[in-house]
Amino acid sequence: MKNQHDFFQGIMTVQVEGPLIEPFLQACTKRGCQITNMRRLDDSLVILTIRLKDWKILRQLRKKYRCKISIKGGKGLPFLVQHMIGRLSVLLAFIAAVVIIFVLANTLWSIKVDGLSPELEADVESKLNSYGVSPGKLTIGMKDPIEIQQQLLEDIPDLLWIGVKKQGTSYQLYGVEKTRYDTEMDTRPSNLVAAKKGMIIETFIKKGRPMVSVYDVVQKGQILATGQLVEDEDLFIHSEGEVIAETWYRVAQNLPMKQVLSLTDGSVESEYQLKFGKFAIPVWGFWRGEEGDFREESHTSDWRIFGFQIPVNLKTVDYYSIDRKSYESSRKNLEKIGISSARSNLHQELEPDAEIKDEKVLHLSEENGKVKLILLYKVYENIAVTKYVSQGD
Amino acid sequence: MSKWQQQIRTWISRYFDLPSDVMLDLPRITTIGSIHVYIENHTGLLHFSDEEVRIQYKKGQVRILGKDLGVKMMLKEELLLEGELKSVEFLPDSKGG
Repeated sequence: MKNQHDFFQGIMTVQVEGPLIEPFLQACTKRGCQITNMRRLDDSLVILTIRLKDWKILRQLRKKYRCKISIKGGKGLPFLVQHMIGRLSVLLAFIAAVVIIFVLANTLWSIKVDGLSPELEADVESKLNSYGVSPGKLTIGMKDPIEIQQQLLEDIPDLLWIGVKKQGTSYQLYGVEKTRYDTEMDTRPSNLVAAKKGMIIETFIKKGRPMVSVYDVVQKGQILATGQLVEDEDLFIHSEGEVIAETWYRVAQNLPMKQVLSLTDGSVESEYQLKFGKFAIPVWGFWRGEEGDFREESHTSDWRIFGFQIPVNLKTVDYYSIDRKSYESSRKNLEKIGISSARSNLHQELEPDAEIKDEKVLHLSEENGKVKLILLYKVYENIAVTKYVSQGD
Repeated sequence: MSKWQQQIRTWISRYFDLPSDVMLDLPRITTIGSIHVYIENHTGLLHFSDEEVRIQYKKGQVRILGKDLGVKMMLKEELLLEGELKSVEFLPDSKGG
């Protein structure tokens, strides 16, 4: 009578002791018990196997027949479960393992963005972050890839198309950037005016009527080309063009003769502190005294678990010992330095297509341990800017 | 009265060709060689040990003798014995009736 049914229901081996065993068993079977594998061990001792659910009946009847019953063992699923519960730690470990595997399998581990420029990629990533899609988050409750795709397309106008694919524990995005063409032609009537004072070197007016010629010196705001094609007429067009002019820049530099430099000599000593909120406990290296000159650099670790910052941090303080050295430069040397730095400063200020044609030292003097340097630069650059003409009034 | 009833039952079982154990409340004892005994329609297990098993039925007792007897299965009206079977004896209740 060994079958699956018995396994799931559970069977148990019971020892029955008493003078009235047979009537007891008879009464039990009348109530629906199923007794199997009965063996007599002694005159008043019998071992038998019953189903788990029959145990109640046996217990109800044992008083009446003055029998002692004791359980010798059990088999089947209910006993296995009980056994497992008995070993709570095993059960807990099992559940924990299942939960951990489940959580890890449902965590987003990486996001990969392909086919986009770095700026747009960063934009996409920050947008994803704002949707709650970032590495370390659970994917349960996250939006569908299709939904994310639509939202990204809505929120980032520079995206022509983006494919969002969930692959296991990572998101793979492939984007196509919109190539922007200024399709709408500017047709508003406008003039070209000078952005700054300069001498015209070259004019190239695509549209409009030129008002200046080469070697004219123009002031800031002077009209270089007008959209009014015919004088004293109402027809105004959009004027376009480039006017390269020679412009002048004055750059003043003040350079100290004596410079003190702090140099680290490479030796570093570290101190470690364990931080609980604002409270810090020195762990290692706290005996490092403050001897001599040193530069202090400290950084605090940013430990996170599942995106949550934990309140415990490790603070590392590095002490770099430094050497102060003073340098005295010669006037000649300083002039060179001043000129090169002035040049590079000017380059940063100017448009990328501007050209520095000439440089001239106007003034070079030395006073109070400082070198004063005034330089003049001659630059060829486009000075034309569009200025719209208001019409109708 | 009961004698008359008994006669009617016997007659019906003969006439309709019904199994006599159903009609007459008698135990049906099936043995498989001398290793298994299958008893149906009994009314009680009176005694059981390695050598002897006694079973109550309506009109008496059945005594089964053997060696290493054990009850393989016991239900309300069924009993499956196993072991080395030697004999099956019927002991009708002559006194009770």
